Amino acid sequence: MSEHNLDVLVIGGGPGGYTAAIRASQLGLSVGLAERAELGGVCLNWGCIPTKSLLHTADVMREAMTASELGLEISKPKFNLKKVVKRSRDVAAQLSGGISHLMRKNKISVFVGDAMFQDKNTVTVGDDTIIADNIIIATGARARNLPHIQADGDRVWDARSAMTPTFMPKKLLIIGAGAIGVEFASFYNTLGAEVTLVEVMDQILPAEDSEIADLAKQSFIKQGMEVLTGTGVDEVKVTGKTLTATIGGKGRKFDAAILSVGVSGNVEDMGLEAIGVEVDRGFISVDEYQQTSVDGVYAIGDVAGVPCLAHKASHEGIIAVEGIVGEMPHPLNKERIPGCTYSHPQIASIGLSEAQAGERGEIKVGRFPLLANGKAVAVNDTEGLIKTIFDASTGELLGAHMIGPGVTEMIQGFAVAIGLETTEAELMDTIFPHPTLSEAMHESVLSAYGRTINF
Amino acid sequence: MPREIYLVKVGMSMTEGMVSEWFIPDGAQVKKGELVYALETEKVNLDVDAEYDGTVKHLVEVGVTLEPGDVVGYIFEAGEDIPDTLAGSPAAAVAEPVSEPEPAEPEPVAVPQPVVSAPSAVSAPATSGDGHVKSSPAARRLAKELGVDYTRVMGSGPGGRIVEADVQAASQSGAAAGVPARMATGPEPKASPLAKRLASERGIDLRSVRGTGPGGRIVQSDIENAAVSGSRAGGAVAPAAASGPQAGERVPVKGMRKTIASRMHHSLQESAQLTMDMEVNMEDAVKMRTSLVEEWANEGVKPTYTDIVIKAVAKALQAHPMMNSQFLGSEIVLMSQINIGMAVALPEGLVVPVVRNVNQLSIKELARETSRLALAARDGTLGLDDYADGTFTVTALGMYGVDSFTPIINEPQSGIMGVNRIYDGVEWDGDKPVKTKKMNLSLTWDHRAVDGAPAAEYLVEVRNLLQSPVRLLV
Repeated sequence: MSEHNLDVLVIGGGPGGYTAAIRASQLGLSVGLAERAELGGVCLNWGCIPTKSLLHTADVMREAMTASELGLEISKPKFNLKKVVKRSRDVAAQLSGGISHLMRKNKISVFVGDAMFQDKNTVTVGDDTIIADNIIIATGARARNLPHIQADGDRVWDARSAMTPTFMPKKLLIIGAGAIGVEFASFYNTLGAEVTLVEVMDQILPAEDSEIADLAKQSFIKQGMEVLTGTGVDEVKVTGKTLTATIGGKGRKFDAAILSVGVSGNVEDMGLEAIGVEVDRGFISVDEYQQTSVDGVYAIGDVAGVPCLAHKASHEGIIAVEGIVGEMPHPLNKERIPGCTYSHPQIASIGLSEAQAGERGEIKVGRFPLLANGKAVAVNDTEGLIKTIFDASTGELLGAHMIGPGVTEMIQGFAVAIGLETTEAELMDTIFPHPTLSEAMHESVLSAYGRTINF
Repeated sequence: MPREIYLVKVGMSMTEGMVSEWFIPDGAQVKKGELVYALETEKVNLDVDAEYDGTVKHLVEVGVTLEPGDVVGYIFEAGEDIPDTLAGSPAAAVAEPVSEPEPAEPEPVAVPQPVVSAPSAVSAPATSGDGHVKSSPAARRLAKELGVDYTRVMGSGPGGRIVEADVQAASQSGAAAGVPARMATGPEPKASPLAKRLASERGIDLRSVRGTGPGGRIVQSDIENAAVSGSRAGGAVAPAAASGPQAGERVPVKGMRKTIASRMHHSLQESAQLTMDMEVNMEDAVKMRTSLVEEWANEGVKPTYTDIVIKAVAKALQAHPMMNSQFLGSEIVLMSQINIGMAVALPEGLVVPVVRNVNQLSIKELARETSRLALAARDGTLGLDDYADGTFTVTALGMYGVDSFTPIINEPQSGIMGVNRIYDGVEWDGDKPVKTKKMNLSLTWDHRAVDGAPAAEYLVEVRNLLQSPVRLLV
């Protein structure tokens, strides 16, 4: 039993929590970090990173399968599922180790175990009692179950099971077509499963611009997926190795199902009610500097509400810490958070959709298809569109939506532009290197003002 | 010592003028506040009053062209020896002292008391008690370099003398130093391109905005906060700074505030004014403006909705001359020119510069002139001639989301048009509602001069012009 006095305690070692801890340390505060499982959180261990390893495998496989179009003769690639999964676990383990090193380097004490608030400044983690002036809750979120469908880890998978499969399902049902469902759909489809993707909303990727989501849907169908929108799964029954799902009143048989219907915040079992932290529909309520309803207690990342994205969490971590030391950071502008989906084709976006922007006032919309981009033709991947949306009167870049190769790496260009508050004039005036896919971004901006060159 | 009577400077653009009439004969007595001579410049005529009691001696004849600040005569106090004739030419009288540390000739100060063609809201420049502005040569040189009108700077030297530091301070802080606040003339601060564009659209001076981005860079939210705090403060869109009046403070009524207070009150007391609103379908006007903005983007001309309304108001006045009149008790004078005042909100209050002969201007020329006037208003460089001779006024509150208000007539005019917000309204296509751009006009008129029916006819004409805006282009 030991007691520690600190300036800041961070609960949760995911991308939000560890970033907040490091920033606090940089600002000269004494910092502790509590984590009950692995440093790096879901993102690094069970989310963003391992799935990117899996999807990279799928990408290389797809390229190999179409290599003959490039004049290469490669025999049909085969995968070893065990090795595919092991590589993704190794990548996660390597990076998690890196976080441990960062904690040591920044002199952050790591407490292992479940954290429990005793009062608003006191938290126990196992045998340790930590008294801190400021406490940042960064406990993240977990996959949600449906009232009538629960993941069982056997035939009904949550994301964690879906990224550590022990067999390759021949027929796979994916319930929920948000970014996570779509990425798994893309991975399993490429590896040969017959994928049925079901979404209760009217479009897949409901957070994306509808035009882009529709292009994604068409592409998935072309790749052999079955995509059902505006459709719910009424019931799932598992008998031995067979899963029967009732979809739109009909019973259909699958080998497995992935439940990807969103996440809920980890707000339980740490004494939040006792100290009076307000929780609203599974997420902690915060102000613009991430402070909860209790003075000195902050919440960041998934547990503080949607969108549940690692880069939003780490940004909020920095806002919270800089707020604590009295700097006046700009509050997070949720309209300036980029989002990426690493399916094939990739999807990336920032800001308002065309429909949202149109509700605000007059807009100008630019579109440029990758079909007209030289680099896309050269690398044999012309499926895609770059769409940009401007405020017609101020020239503010309200939104950018991209689908196609490399767009998840390119969206930062528009994120920087929006962050620096450029208007269409600076974007049009920027020299984009030739030949690159990014030229399509430039052309899209030109197109919004009727000045596109190559289309 | 006799006191000088100067040829007053009425605005930055005035380079020369003359005494067109001496109201007080040579050698006659004058009382402080009595009119002493009539000033005539290229653009404006106004009467100048005496600042002291005493005996007036003329130094110049009627009709001699002089520079502003030249001495035109003297006022001798009782008991002073009054020479029969004054020695020295006007030029000699104002020769710049070369070697004296303290200028022998006090610098000129403009205290015009306009009687005819009264500007709506000109505040008197700050002067020391005796009406003279003392300044150091270095201060004057610096003022010239920085483009500061030092006659409007508060002096902090002995006896209120203006020293270099005062000019520097006036240049940097604008409002704090001079009475008619001028914006700082320093370099434009760092701002994002979007912030710059928003500021220019909303008429916000970037130098009045506090930047909260990295290194004090002004970002979009700073402009939005500036606009919000400006509107909360009661009309002035400009300053974001928290330097405005705080709760519990007492704000003295003086300068521009005093002028506005007395003019507005007088207008309501003296005339029979009332307001009516009319809805306008702005669909075509919005389209026309959008295409004009694009068309003229390269020339840097950007017509505003207010410009388009000003044009429509002026064109309709041609057909309804009674609305362009002045009620003078025994007669109603129909004005021969159509000069439209445009209300511009400044941190220290409202000013109404005038666009002359609007009926003869194209929309492009009009847009250039209104943007020049708005800029000059914010920079404090409007000349008295920029205020003169308005025959009708247009005032806009639409940028604050206002849908209807009762503007107060700018005396002695007979009408003022309030421009409201453009909003998404509904037009019926049979039984089908169609989203349509709409706007209300709020016309206040003087019932002494014009009855309700003809005023409504005038308003209908303005509405029709805005609904067929192509008529404004011809």
